[in-house]
Amino acid sequence: MGTRSMLKLEKLTRRFGDNVAVNAANIEIPDGQMVGIIGKSGAGKSTLLRLLNRLIDPSEGQILFGEEDIAQLKGKDLRKWRSDCAMIFQQFNLVGRLDVVTNVLTGRLYDLPAWRSMAQIFTPRERAFAVQALDRLGMAHTAMQRAETLSGGQQQRVAIARALAQEPKILLADEPIASLDPMNAKIVMDALRDINRNDGITVICNLHTLDTARNYCDRIIGMRDGKIVFDGTPNLLTTAMAREIYGADHEFDEASTSTSLGGPAPVQPIRETA
Amino acid sequence: MQMASITTVDTDQVDAARAAHPGAFRTAWDEVKKWAPWVIAIVYVIGSLIYFDIGRLFDASERALRLLRAMFVWQDMDTWQYANIYTGIAQTLAMAFLGTLLGTIGSLMVGFLAAKNVMPFRVVRQIVRRFLDILRGIDQLVWGLVFVRAVGLGPLAGVLAIFISDLGTLSKLYSESIENIDRKQVEGVRATGAGPLAVIRYGYLPQVLPVFISQSLYFWESNTRSATILGIVGAGGIGMILIERFRAQLYDQVFFVVLNVLVLIFIIDWLSKRIRLWAIGEKSH
Amino acid sequence: MSDATLSGAATGPGPTDAVSVFERHRAELRASKRVWNIIFLAAFLVCLALSIYVSRFYPDRLAEGVPRIFEYFGTILPSLEWDVLFEGRDASGRAVPGSLTFWYTDFWDYIELLWETILMAITATLIGTAVAFVMSFPAAANLAPNSWVYWFSRRFLEICRGIPEILLALVFVFAIGIGPLAGVLAIAIHSAGALGKLFAEVNENASNRPIEGIAAVGGNWPEKMIYGVAPQVMPNFFSYAMLRFEINVRASSIIGFVGAGGIGAELNRVISFYSDDRVLAVLILVVLMVTVIDLISEDIRHRFIGKENF
Repeated sequence: MGTRSMLKLEKLTRRFGDNVAVNAANIEIPDGQMVGIIGKSGAGKSTLLRLLNRLIDPSEGQILFGEEDIAQLKGKDLRKWRSDCAMIFQQFNLVGRLDVVTNVLTGRLYDLPAWRSMAQIFTPRERAFAVQALDRLGMAHTAMQRAETLSGGQQQRVAIARALAQEPKILLADEPIASLDPMNAKIVMDALRDINRNDGITVICNLHTLDTARNYCDRIIGMRDGKIVFDGTPNLLTTAMAREIYGADHEFDEASTSTSLGGPAPVQPIRETA
Repeated sequence: MQMASITTVDTDQVDAARAAHPGAFRTAWDEVKKWAPWVIAIVYVIGSLIYFDIGRLFDASERALRLLRAMFVWQDMDTWQYANIYTGIAQTLAMAFLGTLLGTIGSLMVGFLAAKNVMPFRVVRQIVRRFLDILRGIDQLVWGLVFVRAVGLGPLAGVLAIFISDLGTLSKLYSESIENIDRKQVEGVRATGAGPLAVIRYGYLPQVLPVFISQSLYFWESNTRSATILGIVGAGGIGMILIERFRAQLYDQVFFVVLNVLVLIFIIDWLSKRIRLWAIGEKSH
Repeated sequence: MSDATLSGAATGPGPTDAVSVFERHRAELRASKRVWNIIFLAAFLVCLALSIYVSRFYPDRLAEGVPRIFEYFGTILPSLEWDVLFEGRDASGRAVPGSLTFWYTDFWDYIELLWETILMAITATLIGTAVAFVMSFPAAANLAPNSWVYWFSRRFLEICRGIPEILLALVFVFAIGIGPLAGVLAIAIHSAGALGKLFAEVNENASNRPIEGIAAVGGNWPEKMIYGVAPQVMPNFFSYAMLRFEINVRASSIIGFVGAGGIGAELNRVISFYSDDRVLAVLILVVLMVTVIDLISEDIRHRFIGKENF
């Protein structure tokens, strides 16, 4: 991996008209952490991740990665950041009519000279890298199929392979399992944790279910109405706290936000949060 | 109560029913509103036909008969210059092919410029769109005439006319299908750090290309049809031969050419349907 | 991960790691597609070469022709001068060069011809719609009383639709003389064919239940059509007829090229004989007319459909 840098958000704000989607978020994420962001739908989780990848621009505030302010990047530097900061989506966002391996190879587009990307020419080395990424997720046998012929769970694994092909420093996952059945959800979450543990890539993952976040993440950030209302290790997240995050009344119980993932045993945090 | 026969319903009963259920009976005004459009339409058609001198239709029998006879009595068939006719047909096909091809290539670029989700600058988009509106507002045949004036008689004018009018229509259709694509796929490519051209190449093109191909094939078919008449204004193809022989009052030959044109149109329809099926069928699995 | 096993090509010779298996599989797929790609490309290139040859679309001719296009467009631009732009005619009835009045000397003649063009389109659309309406019932597979009637109706509509309007107009001009009547008849026949086919398709999608209802109370074939089918299909017929009207306005503006009435004759005359601002004057009016008619027609269609949905 490259230089170890910390991702630091300072007063990061995004408004849509009068609506404040993300309100002055201050977060520091050390390298190699697996972070789960939880909250109701509309709490601003998705906007936060999109701000990090700069698919949308912040209204105010800074995103510092090492010394660099990501919020100010433009043009080529911005694309460089996107290629360092891979993203996977709830709806997988694969190009349905391209075959799987080309979809994974789009992860290399930042480094590709224009004439090769226009002519869709990839070197054997790039292809091999893409197939290895697919193989890691058990999807190499589908490499020549069209992405749209795959099931949801398979598509999400291809999307993760595309992210891996980017050789990212950070992996953002926007509700990666919200459209999947429990079995595929487990495969995807296991893959994300594996990438975090074995490759040391920071993973920041939006989850709408509390138990998945508890089971997989080192650290949980709770958002409500655009504000960060909780930031700590899973064991600090009490039922009362969860109730506040989800804005539920006294009948709230964790089962109502559960995908009933069998899941592995809860992971012990490897690093204390700042 | 026993139902009465319809023959025993008298006016008193009708009036009683009308008083009880006024909605079920139409007033005189309702009747007027119902029939007025039809009456107006019929009166208008009759009136306008008289204005357009419909009477001439009935004086036309002698010339109509000459035409009818020419349809069946073909004379001096060995002097008909068939090579000329079939060169004209080949020219028609060539004009449609080249015109559609150029129009497609042009629209590939212009279509993206006119699409809201690709071209962020509203001014550029509006200018491109208004320009396309003008191209579309002028009929292909008028373009043909204009290009005949500009570059002279012959198929070059026809190719340009087809190209220009296709550019107007295809670009609009292309830009609409670009606007209707699945944005998620584009976002997926954008999030990898791909540049704007690569985003178009990998995010947009795979989605829109099949639509583009099928639209262009459809235009190729319809252009072949319209290329048959472009020659009437001198823009090359079979139409030129048609009008020449019509002016020379060789009606039997004209009829022969028209038959050929109809067969050509029929073949092109059939062929285009097959190619579309093949292209789309192959693309979809 | 259960489906991690590599299927298909995995049984082939050679190493079985994912990358080699993939490369073999890829090579096979490419080889099988290559033949077709080459055939397709070759066919395309042959068509292209033939087309270029037959239509003499050579670079030198193009290089010679394209500048002339721009030259031509330069000559048809009006030479307007701002200080006299809105000057009227002087005492002797002459317009000042550089004024709008001068550019549009024949303005009222053009307006009259445009008016005739619109009338032609309306008449032709109404006649065409009426014929199409009548023919659409026997030409619908589910409604035709028997297969003979169906076959003849379909062929009739196909012939009407198949012959280009301008050819029909040419024939009518010969038979009944120069004038708008020939244009109206030509456009009406073509409209009847095009609309008849669309109407018949609408009819084929009509629900069968109302038709059975009318049949059950003893209705004959025309009654079944008028009371069972027509109420279902009228809104669609109306929109199609309006769309056809828009097309017909365009058609009637050019049908005068062969002497069949409307602005087309004037358009043909100015483009063929002059190379000055008159060309642009007429073209602008035609484009304006077509645009305005499109907007009005669109508005009517939306209103009508809006009303139907209540």
